[in-house]
Amino acid sequence: MIMDRTEAEQKLQKIFNIHHFYDDQWKTIVRIMKGERILLIEKTGFGKSLCYQFPATQFKGMTIIFSPLIALMRDQVKYLKSIGIACECINSEQEQEENTKILEKAVNGEIKILYIAPERQENQQWLEAVRKMNLSMVVVDEAHCISVWGHDFRPAFRRIISLVRLLPENFPVLATTATATTKVADDIIKQIGKNVSLIRGNLLRKNFYLSVVKVDDEISKMAWLSQFLQKQEGNGLIYTGTRVNTDLYAAWLQSENVSAANYNAGLDSESRKNIENGLKENRWKCIVSTNALGMGIDKPDIRFIIHTQMPQSPIHYYQEIGRAGRDGLPTNIVLLYNPEDKELPEHFIKNSRPSLKKYEKVIEALKKEPLGEWSLMRRTNLKQTQVRVIRADLIDQGIIREVMYGRDKKYEYQFGASKLNSEKFEKLRDFKMNELSQMVNYCESTECRMDFLCSYLGDDSVKKCDNCNNCLQRSPQYIPNDHWKERIQKFQQNFYPELEVETNSSNIVNGIAASYYGFSNVGTIIHRCKYENGGDFPNHLLVLTLRAFRHKFGDEQFDLVVYVPPTESGDLVKNFAYKIARTLKFPFSNELKKIHQTKPQKIFQNYVLKKDNVKDVFSYEAEIEGKKILLIDDIFDSGATLKEIAKMFTKIGAEKIAPLVIAKTIGGDI
Amino acid sequence: MNEIQQYAYWMALAHLPRWRTEKINRLIVDILQEKKITFAEFFDLDKNDWQNEFDLNQKEVINLDVAKTELPNYSFLVEDLLNQGFELIPFSYNEYSPVLKNNLKLKYSPPLLYVKGNKNLLKEPSIAIVGSRKATDVSLKFTKNVAQNAVKNFEVVVSGFAKGVDRTSLEETLKAHGRSIIVLPQGIMTFASGFKKYYSQIIDGDILVVSTYHPRVPWSVGLAMGRNVYIYGLAEKIFVAESDSKGGTWSGVIDGLKKGREVYVRVADENEDNANNLLIMKGAIPLDNNGKVEHHEELENFEAKVKSILTSPLSAQEIKEKVQIDINTQKLSKILYELSFITTENINGKKIFKLKVSKEAQLSCL
Repeated sequence: MIMDRTEAEQKLQKIFNIHHFYDDQWKTIVRIMKGERILLIEKTGFGKSLCYQFPATQFKGMTIIFSPLIALMRDQVKYLKSIGIACECINSEQEQEENTKILEKAVNGEIKILYIAPERQENQQWLEAVRKMNLSMVVVDEAHCISVWGHDFRPAFRRIISLVRLLPENFPVLATTATATTKVADDIIKQIGKNVSLIRGNLLRKNFYLSVVKVDDEISKMAWLSQFLQKQEGNGLIYTGTRVNTDLYAAWLQSENVSAANYNAGLDSESRKNIENGLKENRWKCIVSTNALGMGIDKPDIRFIIHTQMPQSPIHYYQEIGRAGRDGLPTNIVLLYNPEDKELPEHFIKNSRPSLKKYEKVIEALKKEPLGEWSLMRRTNLKQTQVRVIRADLIDQGIIREVMYGRDKKYEYQFGASKLNSEKFEKLRDFKMNELSQMVNYCESTECRMDFLCSYLGDDSVKKCDNCNNCLQRSPQYIPNDHWKERIQKFQQNFYPELEVETNSSNIVNGIAASYYGFSNVGTIIHRCKYENGGDFPNHLLVLTLRAFRHKFGDEQFDLVVYVPPTESGDLVKNFAYKIARTLKFPFSNELKKIHQTKPQKIFQNYVLKKDNVKDVFSYEAEIEGKKILLIDDIFDSGATLKEIAKMFTKIGAEKIAPLVIAKTIGGDI
Repeated sequence: MNEIQQYAYWMALAHLPRWRTEKINRLIVDILQEKKITFAEFFDLDKNDWQNEFDLNQKEVINLDVAKTELPNYSFLVEDLLNQGFELIPFSYNEYSPVLKNNLKLKYSPPLLYVKGNKNLLKEPSIAIVGSRKATDVSLKFTKNVAQNAVKNFEVVVSGFAKGVDRTSLEETLKAHGRSIIVLPQGIMTFASGFKKYYSQIIDGDILVVSTYHPRVPWSVGLAMGRNVYIYGLAEKIFVAESDSKGGTWSGVIDGLKKGREVYVRVADENEDNANNLLIMKGAIPLDNNGKVEHHEELENFEAKVKSILTSPLSAQEIKEKVQIDINTQKLSKILYELSFITTENINGKKIFKLKVSKEAQLSCL
C-alpha cells in the first residue's frame, strides 16, 4: 500500500487528531506499509504505538498486538475506542465470556486492532479462532522480552518468536521496545528471522535528575526516604528488592504519615488493578513496589523514582526509571546505594536456575509418561517456580514439548532429543554477573550518569546531561542521627508480618506472625529449640508473639486456643500455646488430633504435595459449634496445614479461626 | 531460503479445496522447478499471471486468491503444530519418503506429510500387511508370522491403524520390538489417544505416525479409504493376509500388480471364502501360513499358460480343463475378461475367448 506523507498526515489529522508524524515514525510507517519487518527501538514517550496504530487503520484486515502489559493494553483500548477505532483486548483478567465475544467479533471482521497477551498463544480457543481471522499485521510490543540477554526475558514470548518466523515473507511485522542493548537488539533480529531492519532513536531523557546517594544500612535508607518525601512534590514510585521489603517500607512510610501503598507480584489481580488505578488518580504519595510494577504504567507525571536496592543491571535500571517524567518536567531519579546491596542481585543470579540434578529429575519423569504441571510437581517434589524454569529451558532446548491432550496441556519428552546443554546456563550467568558489576560501576561512577546509561544501551550521542549529581559535582552521602535511629527501631518493634490465608471455603481469617523467620535471630532460636534439643521456646518469643496478637486482634476475645499437632518436635508448640492461653486467659484445648501420621511439611517443596500431605488428617472430637478459635503454630510456610485445619473446623461449625505463629518464612512456594 | 517459513505456503497449497493431488503437485513443480521462483514470489503475482503463466482456470485462480489471504492463518496453525512436536515434510524435501514418491509419482504422492516420531523410518526397508477389518483367525495368525519375520529382517511395518489385520500387524510388530509406521485415516492433531498409548515407543524411535490430511480433520470413511493408497505407497513389499474380490484391499493389490510391485499373498485353502488365490493367479507370489514362499504350479504363471493354449478361440470351460485349474467357471471368466491380451466373442450364444491381434500383426497381414 503506497501513500505519500501529505496524504497520510491528512488521514492522521482526521483519525487521530494529530498534525504530523515525527521523521522516525514516518520512516517506520512507510516500511510497514510495504510489508517489511522492523525492529523499532525508541525511548518511552516517543510515540511508538502510532507506528502501528496508524497503519492498522489503513490495512484491510486486523492487526494483532502482542503485549505483556495488561494495564497498558487497557489504556490503549480505551483511547482508541474514544477516537472511534474498532479495538479490543483479550486478557486473563477479563471474564471468559467477554473474551469469547471479542474472539467472535474478530472472526467476523468487526475489529481493526486486537491487543493480546503473549501467553494467549498457548490457548487453544485463541488458536482455533485466529485461524479464521483476516490478518494484516503482527506487532510484538516490549520485544526485549524475547531475549535472554535482556532484562526481562519471558518464556511466553518463545511462541511469538516461532510464530513470527513462520509468517509469510511479505507480511508486515513490527517489534518495538524502549530498552535494548546492541546485544539484545542483535538477538531479537536473529530470532525473528531475516530481512529485519533496525530503526533506533536516541535515549537521552533531558528532564531526569539522576543521583546516587551513598548510605551504610537499611535504617539510613528509611530515614532518608522519610525526609525526602516530606519535601518532594508530586507522586512517584519506590522500588525495593524483595516482596518483604515492599511490606516493610510501605508500613514505615505509613507510620511516618506518608500515604503509601505496597505492590508486588504476590497480590491478586484485583488488588493490583486497584493500585494501578490509584496511582493514576494520585491516591497515594507513592507506591512501594518490586519491579513487578513498572512497564505497565501509563502515567505522564511520575515525579520521582527512588530505588532502595540496586537492580541487576544498568538496563534493568534504565527500564525501571523509564516510565517517569513522560511529561518532560523535571523528575528526580535517586538510587540509595550501600555497597553490600550487591549481594541480593548476586544471590538471584546465582540461584536463578535449579541444580542440574533437578533438570534430570524432570527429564526422567517425562521419559516415562507425558505429565501436566501439577503431576510433574507431584512426581518430582520440586517447587513450582523450579518446575517452570526447568520446563522453559527444556522446551527451549527442544528436549521436551508442550502438547495438548484434549484440553489438557502436558509435557512430552521428544524422540531424538539432545542432551541438556548446561553451558548455555553458565554463559548466561557469567554475562549477568558482568552486568551486575556494571551496575556497581554506575553507582561508583563520577562521570555523567545519563551518558553512562545511554552508552550502555548503545547510544553514544550523550556527553553531559548537566543534571546528574556528577555533572553538578555533588556526591551525596547520608548518615542518620540518633533521633531517626530510635524512631526506626521503635517502628521495627511494632512491625508484624500478616498471614494472608483468608479464603471463601472456610471461616479462617488473616492471622499474624511475631516476626519473619530470617529476621533478627528468631529463626535461629526456633531451629535450636526444634532440632538441637534447645528446650522450650524462650520467653521473649512468647512476649513478641503476644505483642503481635495485640497488634492484630487488640482486645478481641477467643473461646478456645488450639495448636497444630506436631510431626516430630515433641511438645514445644503445645507448651507454647498453653502459655499463650494462660496469659490471655482463654480456654485451652488438647483435642486437635491427627488421624494418621504425616510427614514433616518441610520435606515437600511445593504446595501441591504439602496439601496432599495434610489432606483429611485432622480431627476434633469436642464441642466447637459457634466458637472463635485462636490457632497456634511455630512456623508459617505455605499455609496449607492451617487452611486444612480451618476447613475441618468450619465443617463442624466453628465461627472463626485466627492463626497466630512465631515466624513466617520468606519466599514460600505459591 | 528459510525452510520453516515455507510451511504456511505448503499447507495453503496442499489443502486447496477440491484440487486433485496431481494438479497441486504439478503446480508446485511448475513454481519451484520450471519457473524457478519462490512461493512468496508466486503469491505476489497478479491473477492474470496465475491464469496465463500457470495454466489455471478462473475457479482455480479464485481458490489461490483465498489461499493467499489465509497464509498468516496457516502460520498460526504451523506454529501450534511445531510447538506440539509435530513435523511437516513437504514433497520436495529430502526427508520425504523415497518409496512413497517412487510408488505414487506426481499423480498420487501427497504434497505434504504431517509426522510425529522417528522420521528416519521413512528411509528404511518397509513392508505392509493388508487385509480385511474382519479377518479370520488364520489370516491374523499369518499377519503375526509375517510381522515377526519383518522384524527379524529389520523391516519397518506400515500399518493403517484399522481393526483386524491392520491392528494385529502393528501390535505384533511392537511385541517383537520392531518398528512401525502408522498411517492415519484422520488429521494428526486428532490422534491424542494414540499418542498417549504409544508414548514410550515414539520416544524410543520405534514408531512414526504419518498423516496426509489437514491436521484437524477428524476420522471419516472417505479418509480411511483414501489412506489405503498411502499404506501401499509407503511399503516396498505388500503382504496380503485376506482379500475380497472387491473393496479397498483388492483394488489396492490389483493396482500394485499392474505397476509390477512385489506382492505376496497367503494361499487360501479350499474352504475359505476369499479372493486370495485369484490374486496369485494375477501374478502375486504365494505364501504359506508362516509367510514362507510356497509354490502352487496351478495358480502361478496363469497368464502365460492361457496365452500358450489360446492358439484357437476357446470357451471358459475349455480353458479351465486345458490349464488344469480348480476354480469355478464363472470366476475364471471374470479373470479372463480382465486380461489385457484377450478379447471375447459371442458365437451361438456362447462366450468365446481369443487372443487380441496386435497392431503390428494386423499391419503385417496387409
